[in-house]
Order: sequence, then structure tokens, then C-alpha cells
Amino acid sequence: MSADRLKELVADGVLDAGATFSAPWEARAFAIAVGLCERGLCQWDDFRQRLIDEIRAADRETAAGPSQEQPYYQHFLRALERLLADKRIVMPRDLAAKMHELEPPKSS
Amino acid sequence: MSGDHHDAFGQGPALRVKALEALLTEKGLVNPQALDAIVDTYENRVGPRNGARVVARAWVDPEFRKRLLENATAAIGELGYGGPEGGHLVAVENTARVHNLIVCTLCSCYPWPVLGLPPVWYKSFAYRSRAVSEPRAVLREFGLELAGDVAIVVWDSSAEIRYIVIPERPPGTDAMSEDELVQLVTRDAMVGVAKVNPVARPR
Repeated sequence: MSADRLKELVADGVLDAGATFSAPWEARAFAIAVGLCERGLCQWDDFRQRLIDEIRAADRETAAGPSQEQPYYQHFLRALERLLADKRIVMPRDLAAKMHELEPPKSS
Repeated sequence: MSGDHHDAFGQGPALRVKALEALLTEKGLVNPQALDAIVDTYENRVGPRNGARVVARAWVDPEFRKRLLENATAAIGELGYGGPEGGHLVAVENTARVHNLIVCTLCSCYPWPVLGLPPVWYKSFAYRSRAVSEPRAVLREFGLELAGDVAIVVWDSSAEIRYIVIPERPPGTDAMSEDELVQLVTRDAMVGVAKVNPVARPR
């Protein structure tokens, strides 16, 4: 399975070469992480450790079954949220409230 | 905290990131213009062209090559390249007998200042899980068949050390200038999943 997957990804390489990010939010999440580290508000190693944890958990799922491998930047974003929560910079409830404010659920 | 994917991503990642940026901006911890500049840097300014310059210089300047192999961070700094995720760079040289390949088995460490951000396949489970255990098969999938007597050395990147492969200079390029050589060097060759091919030039 994973041999085929790598072949697919290599075949996609031409597209990949032109686009560093596949969606604007990926670029933004990346810039937030780099920007916080540049300003000394967090250490890249602290972020990287959480990224490794997210990827390891996802790898176990990928290795175990036929589930689709999650896009890398989903791991990246989850690691960033964890880091900000662990450092008490952005708590999950504050993030949820801000999301609600920016885009209230359609049912309400 | 729950690790449930549905909880974490019930609403789209675009909204999550927008909300994060808004909160961090309100707290004065990030500045949207600074974020724009970071995105611009990694989309448009930092990329494999930097690494190609390093390789071409190493091909034409033996003294630079020596410095590069001894202390890549310093030698690459001479060309004006450096910055985050480039803390300690190590250049590894391909020869007729040794082929080098780089990977980050745990996440996505990569020499940003010289190669930009890694391609999708570099971050994939398939590549990370197989590059160390079966490099020859992985290279074959990239279309690179190495002779049986060529040793493959796999370098696992880490937060502390990022690698760049210095590929072999292809035959028939003796008359080419450094600027012309830069055009031949590809990202894949500097990761080690390809060789540098000479360009067929019109006679």
C-alpha cells in the first residue's frame, strides 16, 4: 500500500513544485508558528515536539488501516493549538469563542 | 483534552487559523503584516535556487567545497543564506561510490535556508517510514536506479542537524559557468532522490 502511495506522491511532484502551500490557511498557520518563534514567544523545538507527537499518532492510524493519510498541515495546526494552550497563550475555549464570533453556526 | 479528530476539526481549519490569528493579533503577539512577510519569504524568496547556487559554487570552487564540507552553516552563510531551521547545516557529498539521501523520520525537518519548505512526499508516511529501511526501493520509485556497488547513506534530519546533498557534477559540463550550472541542479538532487542530469545542448 505505501509503495503505491509514494509513487502517487512522486507523480504529483510536478504540481507540488509550484505551490509551497496548498491552501492559504496552511501558509497562515506556518507564518504564525514561525512568527511566534521569531519573536521569542515560543521555541521551535517545543513546537516540533508537539508536531512529532501529532504525526506519530497519525502514523499509527495510517500503518494500521486503510484510512486516508491526513494532510500534513492538519497535524501542524493541531500542534500549534496544543503549544498555545500548553503555554496558556490561547486556551481552547477562547479559540472556540473567537471562531463562533467570526462565523456563527448556521443553525442559530 | 480530547485527541478526537472530529472535535478538533469539526469546523474548517481555515476558520480555526483565522480565529487564532485574530486572538494573537489582539494580544499583540503577532502582526498580520509580519505574517504576510513570512509567507512571502517562503513562497517566493527562499527555495531550492539557494541550494542550487551552493552546489554550483562547490562544483567550480574547490576551496568553497572544502569549507562547505567542513562547516556548511558557515560556508552557506558566505552566500548570504541562513535563518530559521538552518541552525546547523551539514553538506554530504555524493561520489561514484556513495549516494546520500535525506529524510526526517519523525516529522519534517528540512534545510529551509537552502531548499525552502519540503515537498508533500518528503512529509508523507510512505517516505518517512521507508527511506531508512529500504532506500534502494524508494529511489527506484523516484526513477533512480543505482548500481549495486554504490553504497546508499541515509541521513535522518533532526532539530539540531539539517542535511543537504551535494550531487555529483554531471559529465560534459566542464565548459559551463557557475550560473549555467545553477540551472541544472534540482531540489530532488539535493534531497538525494535524483541525480543531476546534463542538459542536451544543441550543437
